[in-house]
Amino acid sequence: MVYIVSWDEFVERSVQLFRADPHSSRYATKYRRCDGKLVLKVTDNRECLKFRTDQAQDVRKMEKLNNIFFTLMIRGPDADISEASGKEQAEQPASKKGRGRRQ
Amino acid sequence: MVLLQPDPFLNELTSMFERSTEKGSVWVTLKRSSMKCKATRKKMETAGETIEYRCLVRATDGKKTISTSVKRTFQGSDLMWQEGEKKKRGCGRVLTQLSARDYQKFQASYATVLKAHMNALKKRERKDKKKTAEPEKKQASSKKSEPFKKPAPPASKASQ
Repeated sequence: MVYIVSWDEFVERSVQLFRADPHSSRYATKYRRCDGKLVLKVTDNRECLKFRTDQAQDVRKMEKLNNIFFTLMIRGPDADISEASGKEQAEQPASKKGRGRRQ
Repeated sequence: MVLLQPDPFLNELTSMFERSTEKGSVWVTLKRSSMKCKATRKKMETAGETIEYRCLVRATDGKKTISTSVKRTFQGSDLMWQEGEKKKRGCGRVLTQLSARDYQKFQASYATVLKAHMNALKKRERKDKKKTAEPEKKQASSKKSEPFKKPAPPASKASQ
């Protein structure tokens, strides 16, 4: 079992692991409220990638990863996951335009 | 293990989180599954039929396990097959199937349940850094104001 420190590395490697073997790969989440800890695990029964955290900001990142995995599992391993992250990127520049001052 | 419809699954998941506030864990697992045995799958592959995959969602608190299955398209005939399996095996299993739009609804509801219950984690430490930065700024601004005050007293002494 490997605990990965970088979130981006965890996401990239777990998506690669899933795409390599979509039938045997699974994504597990463990939440312990009494300890205030969240652990994410992606495995294909041969290799295991884990990410642990106690930070509230990682819950939002986990939700994005949930969306990515739902898309991959339902639409297929070749599905375009940039839609899940692309929507958020499309929303950000729109909000910046709204905040800009008109001169 | 009990397979449920998506809404009862989410209700049961909520009660699992509420039950494990003081001790215990909640595990949620997502897996891609065709919900068919290996022999059936191989037969379908050799026959050239497309195998329809679903997302199986399982949740457990260590004592009780619940699950639901999220699919791309809805087919009534599959529900009939699953009910037949239920009678044969005699176990409490019910299957759930959602359309592509419904899986997004499930995704949104699932995210809402998680946000509501995963609130015992530590918040960002940037607020502490801001608090330490503010008194430093105040000290810097007070040091700059002192030299402006100094030239005033010698002028008053010269007039006397």
